[in-house]
Amino acid sequence: MSTAIATVPTAGRRQTGARGWTITGWIFLVLLLLFAFLPMLWMLLTSVKTQFGALQYPPAWIPTEVTFEQYHRLLSPTNDVGHEFLGYLWNSVWISAATTVLSVMIAVPAAYAFSRFRFPGRKWLFFSVLFRNMFPAVVFLMPLFVMMRFLGLVNTQASLILTYLTFGLPLSIWLLKGFYDNIPIQLEQAARIDGATRFQAFMLVVMPLSAPGIVATAIYSFITAWNEYVYALTFLNDKSKLTLPVGLQRFFTEYATNWPGLMAASFIMSVPVVLMFLILQKYFVRALTEGAVKS
Amino acid sequence: MARVGRRDLFSGGITRRTVLKSSAAAALAAGAYRPLGTWAQGGTGIDLSQWSPDYVRSIAGTLEVDTAAECARVVPLDYTGRLTYWWVGPTEASPQLDHETDAQFWEAFSRTYPNITIERQNLGYNDMLNKLRTAALGNAAPMVARLPILWGVEFAAKGQLSELKPEDIGYGTDEYWPGALKSVTWDGAGYGIPTNNETMAFIWNAEIFKEAGLDPETPPATWDDVVAYSRQIKEKTGKNGYGLVARPNAGNTPFRFMPQCWAYGGGALDEAEADPSYEEVYIGNDGTKAALQLSYDMYVRDRSVPTSALTNTQTENQDPFIAGQLGMMISHPSEYAFMIDRANRATGSDKAIADAVVANMRYGLIPQGPVRRAVVFGGSNVHMFHPDVVDGDLDVDAARALITFMTGPEWSTRYNWSSSNPGNIRGFRTSWMKERLDQIKFLDVTSSMLPSGIPFPVIPESTEIMNIIIPDMLQNALTETMSIEDAADDAAYRVQQLLDGI
Repeated sequence: MSTAIATVPTAGRRQTGARGWTITGWIFLVLLLLFAFLPMLWMLLTSVKTQFGALQYPPAWIPTEVTFEQYHRLLSPTNDVGHEFLGYLWNSVWISAATTVLSVMIAVPAAYAFSRFRFPGRKWLFFSVLFRNMFPAVVFLMPLFVMMRFLGLVNTQASLILTYLTFGLPLSIWLLKGFYDNIPIQLEQAARIDGATRFQAFMLVVMPLSAPGIVATAIYSFITAWNEYVYALTFLNDKSKLTLPVGLQRFFTEYATNWPGLMAASFIMSVPVVLMFLILQKYFVRALTEGAVKS
Repeated sequence: MARVGRRDLFSGGITRRTVLKSSAAAALAAGAYRPLGTWAQGGTGIDLSQWSPDYVRSIAGTLEVDTAAECARVVPLDYTGRLTYWWVGPTEASPQLDHETDAQFWEAFSRTYPNITIERQNLGYNDMLNKLRTAALGNAAPMVARLPILWGVEFAAKGQLSELKPEDIGYGTDEYWPGALKSVTWDGAGYGIPTNNETMAFIWNAEIFKEAGLDPETPPATWDDVVAYSRQIKEKTGKNGYGLVARPNAGNTPFRFMPQCWAYGGGALDEAEADPSYEEVYIGNDGTKAALQLSYDMYVRDRSVPTSALTNTQTENQDPFIAGQLGMMISHPSEYAFMIDRANRATGSDKAIADAVVANMRYGLIPQGPVRRAVVFGGSNVHMFHPDVVDGDLDVDAARALITFMTGPEWSTRYNWSSSNPGNIRGFRTSWMKERLDQIKFLDVTSSMLPSGIPFPVIPESTEIMNIIIPDMLQNALTETMSIEDAADDAAYRVQQLLDGI
């Protein structure tokens, strides 16, 4: 009894303390979210302001006059601006998608080979894969340009896909190798005892288990290609072949910036990436946390 | 027809000769058709010594030009060829007028030379230089490019441009401003033709002047007045007085600081002298230090300029100016056209704001200093790349056809309708010039600044000096990392090291 009487206040204090921490945690999280999302919100709000509304001083969070004119212009294929912008959007989508598919197709077998096979020079080769990523991308601009010109690929989107592969592949291979290392080889051996070939064991056992890793790799490759600017600017000439990051520069001149237009275009540009994260987030989270529960 | 490929160069190096040979006859012909009387005034019918807003107005509309005939004297109009061309063209942020003018230009060119095919690349101002550097190094440069004034010298110094002077395209040297020709001269040879010449003006908001107790119709006459006006505006209205720009690696910074610097007898090198050698470093002299002191007084002592000046480019000044929060700034003639364009597009409550901004905009001459009145001589030049670095064979005649068309009196006036002055001085006499003056307010003011225009030093190191060393000097002084004296001396030391190749 006395024990019970003695413990009640302690439990209450503990609960109060826990609640205090919970509230602090929530406040902290809300502040963190605001910090992360305010730029996005500001971008969205500016995109629906008028030209003068965007320059209002002091700046107003809530636009006094809301207009969707910029979105209308950008997304209407019938006007010149929209036609160009949708072209950039399509180019970015297909170049990034092609880079992603190729990157996964190459990284998956390469990482598997590094994980499962022992061959002369394996260690050296594995580390050399990352060599490319030790230098800033711009260092390779000139050599790659000369190579692409030699191959007749300047002003083709293939030049970008090839170049983006050189960025994305090294890290993709490293990421995936980590996954394959964590998948017990006994599972493959069991499949083979049951009559599967090595390829079948890989496809039916290893691939499903490494799906989160493949998705994470794919997202990484896609975003790398989606946001790249310098190579796209340098390798492509025709307006009809340009990508979105280069297209965004069309909202600046030497003298002025079309802020609402730029913000609307930026918002549209962020949508595919956000959607991709929303759809694939469960795989992505699994990929990030997988290592925590493996022995 | 003169097509110059790499093979031609390797087999005897006739590039320049080819150009000169085919242009010599054209130059003679071009000279021959001029009425003799006009030679008395330099062949253009214009007396530069009388240059003023009134004079600019008085000569406009006194010349009829037949562009096709002028072009035909250089390259026959039925010439068949192919051309690649890069330029900083209108973008989504440009006024509608610029898009229309650009379209008219290309339509007119294809009417004049229907058999010349052009693959053209309209690049953004922030994109073009690096892209062009890579392309030229990778032997994939365009045949012709129109570049902002400071960019050409770098390519010329690397041997990546073909020599080109007005006579090569059928015009006389006297048809272009001496300052403009200076900007396309490297190592004693011409390597480009001015397409437009630009000098900025001093712009102020008459309403803010009134609020601050200043005469709304009178701009500051001297740089000392700018400091005093800026302080008064801040004290009386709480708004910022002058749009100081001091961001490193932004071209806008030297465009605003150098006029101040030159006005006091300073400079980066001796570019403001009548016959510059570009060898003597002026940046540490008393003139530069006096100019730096002015910026210090406004930023540190009076706090009468935007606190964000250290990170501002002109775009960040334009916006508060439009919002009625900034009293004075230096800017391009195009500023007025931008405002008119915005006002025309504005609706609802924006319309009233836009109309008020336009009504309150005033243009005046850049203030004077104790030594001179000065402004940066800007604009663009058109260049022909060297066959060695061009993608494919250089079609010299197609290149000359476009350059002649572009730099003649008609299109150097019409193509720069709202933003600049004609590169060809005869353009000032055309009916198009008269139409522009009637249509676009304040053009005569910015045009009248031309004789005060000083080009940046025409050396490859100019970009480093203007975009890095001078802004760094300002930053050092304005953040009080160094004293005025030390900041200027440090900049002088860095310029000297750069020139010495250290």
